[in-house]
Amino acid sequence: MRHSLPIVLALTWLVLGPGSTDAANPPSLTVFAAADLTFAFKEIASRFEKATGARVTLVFGSTGNFAQQIRQGGPADVFFAADQSFVDALAAEGVLLRETRTLYAQGRIVLATARAFGPKLTDLRSLLDSRVRHVAIANPVHAPYGRAAEQALRKAGIWEALRPKLVFGENIRHALQFVQTGAAEAGIVALSIASVPEVDWVSIDAAMHAPLDQAAAVVRRSARPELGLAFIQFVNGPEGRPIMKRYGFMLPGEF
Amino acid sequence: MSGTVSVAITKRFPGFTLDVSWEAEQSVLGLFGPSGAGKTLTLQCLAGLIRPDAGRIVVGERVFFDAAAGVDLSPQQRRIGYVFQGYALFPHLTVVKNIAFGLRGRPRLDRARRISEVIERLGLRGLEQRYPRELSGGQRQRVALGRALAIDPALLLLDEPLSALDAPLRRTLRDELREILSGWGTAAVVVTHDFTEAYRLADRIIVYEDGRVIQSAPRSELLWQPASESVARIMGLSNVLRGTVVKAMPDRIQIAWRGQTLEAVNSPTRSYLPPPENPIAFFIRPEYVRLIRKDRGAPDVAHHMNLMRGRIVGEADFGTVWSLRLRLDTPGAPAQGDFDLEVEVPHLVYEILEIERDRHWEFSIHRGSIHVLPT
Amino acid sequence: MDSFPVWLSLRVALSATALTLLTGVPTAWLLARKRFPGRNALEAVVVLPLVLPPTVLGYYLLVVIGYRGPIGRALAAIGLELAFTPAAAVLAACVGSIALVIKSAQAGFETVDRQLEQAARTLGRSEWGVFWSVTLPLAWRSVLAGTVLAFCRALGEFGITLMVAGNIPGRTQTLPLAIYDRVQANQMGEANALALVAVGIVVVLLFGLSRLARLRY
Repeated sequence: MRHSLPIVLALTWLVLGPGSTDAANPPSLTVFAAADLTFAFKEIASRFEKATGARVTLVFGSTGNFAQQIRQGGPADVFFAADQSFVDALAAEGVLLRETRTLYAQGRIVLATARAFGPKLTDLRSLLDSRVRHVAIANPVHAPYGRAAEQALRKAGIWEALRPKLVFGENIRHALQFVQTGAAEAGIVALSIASVPEVDWVSIDAAMHAPLDQAAAVVRRSARPELGLAFIQFVNGPEGRPIMKRYGFMLPGEF
Repeated sequence: MSGTVSVAITKRFPGFTLDVSWEAEQSVLGLFGPSGAGKTLTLQCLAGLIRPDAGRIVVGERVFFDAAAGVDLSPQQRRIGYVFQGYALFPHLTVVKNIAFGLRGRPRLDRARRISEVIERLGLRGLEQRYPRELSGGQRQRVALGRALAIDPALLLLDEPLSALDAPLRRTLRDELREILSGWGTAAVVVTHDFTEAYRLADRIIVYEDGRVIQSAPRSELLWQPASESVARIMGLSNVLRGTVVKAMPDRIQIAWRGQTLEAVNSPTRSYLPPPENPIAFFIRPEYVRLIRKDRGAPDVAHHMNLMRGRIVGEADFGTVWSLRLRLDTPGAPAQGDFDLEVEVPHLVYEILEIERDRHWEFSIHRGSIHVLPT
Repeated sequence: MDSFPVWLSLRVALSATALTLLTGVPTAWLLARKRFPGRNALEAVVVLPLVLPPTVLGYYLLVVIGYRGPIGRALAAIGLELAFTPAAAVLAACVGSIALVIKSAQAGFETVDRQLEQAARTLGRSEWGVFWSVTLPLAWRSVLAGTVLAFCRALGEFGITLMVAGNIPGRTQTLPLAIYDRVQANQMGEANALALVAVGIVVVLLFGLSRLARLRY
């Protein structure tokens, strides 16, 4: 075991050494954002960084999980949920600052078809076609877009018939993946993330489901609440709105 | 090595109870008896590997265990050398490391000297760097012994030291072991189920049966005077027979057996005087039954005691001796299955007497060769 | 390719493996050699992380180590944070992998002949000495196998980490989380690159270990 000493030293260096995560100098903002905001927020955040000099850390994931994590002290400064009910619940608990609660977008769902499958499906009812074996949606139990998908399908009268073919994704990105890879021939996903090469889509009438009002708020325990509020205002401001629109969100004032 | 080993312990298990009490001063003590009699268990209690329910164990001046006083030395504290059945050599260590295992904490020079001494005296030179799996049975036994002796133990415990070996090897190693034990001078307790082994290795033998001690005696006394029929059976004696007392006197006993009246000497350590009509057990050593030559006229009664007649109904050749089975001429069921007596004659005698051809014989047994077994 | 997740995961996996060895090997020995009340409960607890869905496990852990939880508050009182830090990723990796160390090591210890341990005792070794000089050397292969499994599991730990450490880029985003993230964002090139690195680490590890194994008894 004579060669063990250099190995132990190397390991110690590795464990304790560089790659430290603290770059303490520019003020930094941690944003927990719903999965549907992935593309839009990457752009917005880099603009915000240029405008303010602050460093933005974007964390994307499922709204439900985020809510739990923030409740237990997750290091978010500001929370952009895919469903205002989560924000309202947390605000009522005092975890989020009620005064900062802001609507920032209204989400839209679309019917997506995998390009590899064939011609674009244009009607929800065409999902019943026997050639469509799997339909992907986000999990209606905890994902707001999944709930909207369920509402639309029920309104179209095909929810029960379609149940056996449904595949649930953890969140909206997960559901999109099923369609992208062709594991599901079609799915209902968020408009804001649907523009990917593997997928064709058509809008679903907003009247088919309850509005996906998306709200944001600043986290009470944040060390930089003013920065978080500034970010929310930036998203809703002249720089952020065009980007959001481009990704298919309806904006406050339009709904 | 002086000092007494004194054991008085009980231990209960479901279906078996160990309840033994013995003391010994001899250098080599044998625990002898059938498997499952509690011999190994006693050894483990001596070593501190198992805790008795009650009792006391004293080795030399040291109290190893005393239930009443709450004393229970750990195995590490007892300084006992244990040679396990199967040897328990550390497979991942060389011979020299095995032997040195108990010597940790001693000054280096002392350790080296000790190891060298053990290797030399046990004939292990040249095997130091071998692993146990590369050794023969006999070599392993010596390493196990060496490992136990290296720590200079107050007491050496050997559990069936020869049973893991083949028969021819066993004999040689038995003698070697005896020499090593006496050469080293350490007090030892040897467990064995083989009487010859016990006899050869130990000075004093303690007979175990079913968790109890049924006889404790110097080895020769055990050989000639097993304390009871049970002991005789355990020792594997032949011709353990039962008769009825005709008359008991201090120096001899008359026994009615198979239509004969036998005369035997009485047990010298006690005046055994059972009343007439009492059942009585006795044994006759097969090699002391004298077949009488037919070419010398009628046998002289003064010389030939317990004269009887019988026919050979079975025989077996054991290389240097013949074992014959005799059935008495007297009517009635034979004492041992289809024969009455087992007789051992050396090859030479077998040939001279032409026993192969002539199956009908008169024979005698000296009264001193009929051993009474008190109950 | 962003290399932060790679270094983070390596450090997390190494720290976690060291911790699981430190706590797992004695536990394995206890389970292999001792009878005690609550033994069955301990065995069940050990295996539990393998049975529960990782996110659920992560949730329960979060409740305990979050700023509201008992451990979280105790740590905060002395100025320490656990949840949502790389230390939480280490914790997640430990919880997910300790059963592998314990079960392998336990099986290894159980096959060691007790008589050898008895012999060691009669030759004067303390219980600790018996473990180091007899039990462990004879069971080292099982312990090593368990360690390798635990390391790989720690390297690939995902669900628990996601909940308890968060998927925070540049802070707690481990390699598996990073790969997942790239895939979700449809950045397949980066995702593949990171996945290859993960595979590469394991290959190097196994290669190194097989050399080590051949050097010994």
